[in-house]
Amino acid sequence: MSVLAARQLQVALGERTVLVGVDMELRAGEVVLLCGRNGAGKSTLLRTLLGVVPPRAGRVELGQRPLGEWPPLARARALAFVPQEVETPFEFTGRELVAMGRHPHRGRREPLRDEDRRAIEVALDAVDGRSFADRAVTTLSGGEQRRIAVARALATEAPLLLLDEPTSNLDLEHALQLALLLRREAAAGRGVLIASHDINLLAPHCTRVVVLHEGRVFVDAAPEQALADGNVATVFGVRATAASGYFPRDFRLPS
Amino acid sequence: MIARRGSIPVLAVLLAVVAVTFLGVYRQGPDLASLWSWLAAGCGLGAPIDDVDAYILRDLRLPRLLVAIFGGASLAIAGAVMQASFRNPLASPDVIGTAAGAAFGGALAIVIGLSDLSVVNTPAIALVGAIGVTWLVFVLAGANERFSVANLLLAGIALNTLVGALTAFVVTFRFDNYTASSRVLFFLMGGLEGRTWEHAAITSIGCLGFAALVWPRARELDLLTLRDDSAHSLGIDAARARRTLVWCACGLTATTVSNTGGIAFVGLVVPHLARLLVGPGHRVLLPTSALLGALLMVASDLGCRLLPPSLNLRLGVVTAFLGAPYFLFLLARQRRGMAL
Repeated sequence: MSVLAARQLQVALGERTVLVGVDMELRAGEVVLLCGRNGAGKSTLLRTLLGVVPPRAGRVELGQRPLGEWPPLARARALAFVPQEVETPFEFTGRELVAMGRHPHRGRREPLRDEDRRAIEVALDAVDGRSFADRAVTTLSGGEQRRIAVARALATEAPLLLLDEPTSNLDLEHALQLALLLRREAAAGRGVLIASHDINLLAPHCTRVVVLHEGRVFVDAAPEQALADGNVATVFGVRATAASGYFPRDFRLPS
Repeated sequence: MIARRGSIPVLAVLLAVVAVTFLGVYRQGPDLASLWSWLAAGCGLGAPIDDVDAYILRDLRLPRLLVAIFGGASLAIAGAVMQASFRNPLASPDVIGTAAGAAFGGALAIVIGLSDLSVVNTPAIALVGAIGVTWLVFVLAGANERFSVANLLLAGIALNTLVGALTAFVVTFRFDNYTASSRVLFFLMGGLEGRTWEHAAITSIGCLGFAALVWPRARELDLLTLRDDSAHSLGIDAARARRTLVWCACGLTATTVSNTGGIAFVGLVVPHLARLLVGPGHRVLLPTSALLGALLMVASDLGCRLLPPSLNLRLGVVTAFLGAPYFLFLLARQRRGMAL
């Protein structure tokens, strides 16, 4: 059963048409990599699936119901997001930022409950973030800030995760840990959609790859088929073989 | 930074001490002993004090104190709201023309003589000016349809410049009337002389009313410091929330500056100071800013009153004197790589 679906999406930013007739689905239990050249429409598709950018035509369905019909807090409990850029100019601590992920579960003036605190700690553990959780985010490195953003999305306990370039600014160890974490989350029943250029690192961990090209879905298939030589040459304009075995699926970091 | 809630009771006690000093310490008129006697008489615990002293305490100092407390709190809350809504620690209630509109309305009321008819005319017309200019900025920026911080800033700069020019024109238009032009100048520089219970009522109702709208949205303010797509993903309609909260900030600013004239830097500086004390979470930041704003305003006005009258020091000048060094301190922090 599809959980999040784009149906014949057409999206324009100002006068420029960015997405044309995009169909795609994200189901529970899978990790989908969304890739394509710069300007192919990856971030726009993600923002449209999130409901931030309204489509000019077509629709987004969440749980077989139009996304726009979802009350905002219910939508937030179903669909979490990790943005591409670092976010706040103020000195919130990492833990305070992660706690914001509990907003959809709390009343307007309700303080943090025990279950909220548990979810925050579980999310921080998942990104190995406890050691810097009580520092101001403005003092954290780019990678640490990114891990806090991922933890905030996990703290929502939403069954669907959308991530925009989640491995940018992450060192190799933490990028691989994140890939493994996302696989674990999918194995636990979450659906994960990652928009990224980091094909070599992420593709081996994905169940599907969706390649966007000139605003359309060029191919939507298992990684080996989607990233076949011909597709890579057509979409990225280079003759290269995707190194899907470079970091194999069963890669484990030394403990 | 862990929120230090202990700052709130400390600030509340400090404010109480400064407020009592404000009422009972002055070069002339009733002193602290008279104040206690007056309070005791009010509670039926002693003989009434001299009528003149009672009048000075009840109808001169007390409304002035209330305007200072609620005005300072309003400007500080408005500053915190603007900085979160604009995601910019340098935003202030002045940026979208509210204060400029109030200045123009107040100046106009004085120059055309309406202020002579009733004490509420100047604040009432200043309030109309503040709301009118703010509304115009929203319309020009298209913020009622699509909220854009950049558009609001551009429209705010344009209207601030235009209304500033109109105010200057209004002042120079009546340079031949020394009394009117000096009153306008005093209004523009900000001050609390001659504030009445009517001024206190407008300021306090504005403060309590708009603060009551802002306070339940403290967590939304936290989320609005994130990018719009992140706030949206957490269940916030960022554009609508920003629009509502910015209007509340304008309401707080308008009901204050229409009664006090231009008070520089309180809305900009106080939220920074409050963040240093309690961190950026608005649930604690808003009451802390309110107390700190009130404290700064009362203490500044007390300073104005205790200094020799020949200095003719205005409240707006004092707050500006305090604001400038603070920004140099912020600059030094920024150069050391610390966040604003």
